[in-house]
Amino acid sequence: MAQSPATNHSPLLSLRGLTHSYREGERVRQVLDHIDLDIGEGEFIAILGRSGSGKSTLFNLISGIDQPQSGEIQMLETRLSALNEHDRTMYRRRNIGFIYQFFNLLPTLTVRENLLLPLELNKLPPDRADELLAAVELTDRADSFPDCLSGGEQQRIAIARALVHDPGLVLADEPTGNLDMQTGQHILEMLDRLVRQSGKTLVLATHSRAVAEKADRVLALADGKFTTNVEAFAW
Amino acid sequence: MDRALALRRQKILRLASLRYLLQHPWQLALTIIGIALGIAIIVAVDLANESATRAFQVSMENISGRATHQIVGGPSGLDESIYTRLRTELGVRNSAPVLEAYGASGNETLHLIGIDPLADARQGSRFGTTEDGVIQELITTPNTALLAAPTASRMNLTKGDDFEVSLGGRSYRLHIVGLIKPQNQSAAAIEGLLITDISTAQEITNYLGRLSWVDLVLDANADAALVEKIKASLPADAELVPAASRSNAMAQMSKAFRTNLMAMGLMALIVGMFLVYNTMTFMVIQRRHLLGTLRVLGVTRRELFQVILSEALLVGVVATLLGLAIGVLLGQGLVHLVTRTINDLYFVVTVTDLQLSATPMIKAALLGLGGTLIAAFIPTLEAALTSPQAALRRSTLEAHTHVFISRLTVAGLVLFTAGLLLLLIPSTAIFLGFTSLFLLILGMSFMAPLLVMKCVHLCNRWGSTRFDITTRLAIRGISDALSRTGTAIAALMLAVATTIGVSIMIDSFRSSVVDWLETTMRADIYLSAPDLGSGRSYAALDTGLIRNIQSLPGIAGVSEGRQVTIESGALLTEVFALRFSAGIQPGFKLKGGDPPSIWKAYLNGDAVLVSEPLAYHRGLQPGDTIELRTDRGPQAFGIAGVYYDYGSEQGKVLMERDLYNQYFQDRETGGLGLYLKPGVEVDSIIEQVKALAAQAGQNIRLRSNRDIRAYTLQIFDRTFAITHVLRLLAILVAFIGILTALMALQLERAKEIAVLRATGVTPFEVAKIITLQTGVMGLLAGLFAIPTGLVLSQVLIHVINKRSFGWSMESLINVNELFAAIVLAVGAALLAAIYPSWKMTRTAPALALREE
Repeated sequence: MAQSPATNHSPLLSLRGLTHSYREGERVRQVLDHIDLDIGEGEFIAILGRSGSGKSTLFNLISGIDQPQSGEIQMLETRLSALNEHDRTMYRRRNIGFIYQFFNLLPTLTVRENLLLPLELNKLPPDRADELLAAVELTDRADSFPDCLSGGEQQRIAIARALVHDPGLVLADEPTGNLDMQTGQHILEMLDRLVRQSGKTLVLATHSRAVAEKADRVLALADGKFTTNVEAFAW
Repeated sequence: MDRALALRRQKILRLASLRYLLQHPWQLALTIIGIALGIAIIVAVDLANESATRAFQVSMENISGRATHQIVGGPSGLDESIYTRLRTELGVRNSAPVLEAYGASGNETLHLIGIDPLADARQGSRFGTTEDGVIQELITTPNTALLAAPTASRMNLTKGDDFEVSLGGRSYRLHIVGLIKPQNQSAAAIEGLLITDISTAQEITNYLGRLSWVDLVLDANADAALVEKIKASLPADAELVPAASRSNAMAQMSKAFRTNLMAMGLMALIVGMFLVYNTMTFMVIQRRHLLGTLRVLGVTRRELFQVILSEALLVGVVATLLGLAIGVLLGQGLVHLVTRTINDLYFVVTVTDLQLSATPMIKAALLGLGGTLIAAFIPTLEAALTSPQAALRRSTLEAHTHVFISRLTVAGLVLFTAGLLLLLIPSTAIFLGFTSLFLLILGMSFMAPLLVMKCVHLCNRWGSTRFDITTRLAIRGISDALSRTGTAIAALMLAVATTIGVSIMIDSFRSSVVDWLETTMRADIYLSAPDLGSGRSYAALDTGLIRNIQSLPGIAGVSEGRQVTIESGALLTEVFALRFSAGIQPGFKLKGGDPPSIWKAYLNGDAVLVSEPLAYHRGLQPGDTIELRTDRGPQAFGIAGVYYDYGSEQGKVLMERDLYNQYFQDRETGGLGLYLKPGVEVDSIIEQVKALAAQAGQNIRLRSNRDIRAYTLQIFDRTFAITHVLRLLAILVAFIGILTALMALQLERAKEIAVLRATGVTPFEVAKIITLQTGVMGLLAGLFAIPTGLVLSQVLIHVINKRSFGWSMESLINVNELFAAIVLAVGAALLAAIYPSWKMTRTAPALALREE
């Protein structure tokens, strides 16, 4: 398990001096404080951190949902801070696959339609939806609505949805945080396998060292900064 | 101690629940406004109606005073010798003569009452108070008058001033010797009152030696013998009637109009109740997590029920108070529309202010609070009965909704069938007609959610390969959130259906009136003496003027008309005595029968014709007889036929003038129809007639055929102006319903929208989804409104109008109108979507995603 912010891979994503804070009443809470990071193509990075440490904020900035107060985010040739809202959405549509702790499948769409959504948005053929359904072993649930599925099944669909349009980067925010240990393990293995098979880059936020151990590199986020000393996090 | 604990628990539960409402102020405000508007419409219509009725009653009471009985005459009033004989020979000292007419001065309508001040002094000062010594001057000085102080103030007049009053087309100058002030009565009671001595009144109305009626104060039990003696002493043209029956007969005239207005108001309230139901459902649904958590924590169903229902009560109280306030403001505007129509169609009534009385307010408050509680009951009960774990699952909620919708559809079918069955009952009762109408439209509204579900499913199936995912998402969202969208669609559908139904009714009615005008109005020019008002004294054309007009070179023929109202007990019957111009074919369209033989009987004076409303209201048909109190005593006239007439909802008796002259002393002519020779210019004759009238010193009302048709239609349109206002308000209530539904959905779908945005959906595409969804909701509401509106229109035309007014009319369905209704529904829905769309696209996805 590597534990360094440096990378030998060619960088897919570069973060430079990334800073972000929230105002809570009179107080300003610094969640990210001048962060630098390079993430190589095909890399699996785990970001360890307590609740509220800024993991989700980091994901929102990388995906262009939010904008940093200062610093640069660059994905291949694209500098996110130079993009307007519409172009950031287009960038996200093409390049990012999201997996959330609470699955966030669209309740009004069937399982298959949830997978069709990114494909149709990217004007891609629908066949990939069936491939991914087969890959997550849920072909038989294609016409079910999300709330008829178990948590584990919903997360498998969420993984399929994140990969279906072949994005360069998959962001997984506590993907096992809402599942029991056994199901979580199963999901993690599936995610690892599918991401590595497709050669995608995966950034996974977690507070579990066991989950983080799967990654190529583990970074700990505390007080708005990355640290390599993951041992200090005694979870 | 236990009680204190229970109270504390209730308080904390209420706090948890109420804070949710306060955190969503927009939604709370929309709910309150929606209910308030529904109540406001009811209050406004009721207050406007009551103000007009009250003003009429007050003026009637004012005129009648303490009178228990009245002696009334025929079209030419009473001979004043009856009064003299009554006092001298029969010794009835408690009696007073009255001559009544309506006049105008500037923009003010004046209610002229000619009295014998000495006789009236004995009956009590029923007209208010005035300074001492004024009465003496009124009796001794000709052309003097007392004027109501509020009216004088508006006219910038005071004691000692002279002013012009126009009566029956002639102008007179009167000198104000005193002002009348209210005495133990509201200012409205004396509005427009102009009192003169009876002789002055007789002179200026050209009713020399005649009276409108004589007031009597009799104790019917103690004076039974006297009553009989008076009756026996009266000539054939006079009748002794109880005073109350006359005012009742007058008030009854506009009852159907007022009932129809009330029904429109109720329609708006029903739309409002849908809104209440909708928002209460939202409030429960949106808090299902909160409610589920409370249940998990051990809050009982009963406690939950109490909390939500008390919250609904609070919302209802606030909305009701607001509704009452808006209603009073709205009523100020409506009272003028109502009064204008009553003045146009029924009788003269002066209303300057809205009369705030308790009954309409209490009625509306009860309807508002009751409506809120009833509408809130079902969602509240559902929330309380749902198991805690089910409350946390959305699929359970929608499954419940689908079961509920099935039951609702069955209920809708039952209501619709009941409505149809009620229509089959042979009756003339308006109430039954309205009940049936409400059952039908309520039934159709209840069936709307199922239709929405079916349509959306069909659309989804068809569009699964044709529509893109965002379009499918938009359409799917309607049926997936049916618990929220269904009621909003039903409310909009109901409002648009009302618009369709009323529009078709008005169009059909208007087309029938246009057709009737074209058939009936055959003369080129119509002229009449300006009315003296309420039908108790009638303006007449100068006989010399009539002769001069008849001898004008361009005139081919002249028809002469005289319209009078015959009072008989509690019945008022309009009689139109008409002498057709020689060689001119009568223009009246007959309802059935053989026209040549009917006209022969009429022209020979063998029988009369009755208009359709009169035949309907009194159950008359050709071959029957109608009894009228003539100057020769009660007389039965044979009915030759029934003719279409939209000029009077009470109906008329059409009588050949010679026949009229046989039974009535009145020889005056009220109006003329002039038929011109070919090639003669209408305008040139109008100018010549005007010059002749000026020579005779008489103002006349002169209108060409084209003008009179336009004027009639103008009155028609004015009559229905109020329905446009009420329809717009119903649409506004429905608009708020859609807006509330969308705001609720926005609140609920913030997370979904955030996920979409995270997946790469642009704000524009989010707006497209919402706009498309709302547009489809509007389209469905518009489409369902068409059959509902058509049913509504047919019931309005063939049942409500028939039973209210007795008019029959052909249904005229304008396809453009139906198309316009769909545009209206979609437009209202899209307009309502603007703010929620904007709001949803502005919501930061990061924020929504963080709110797990």
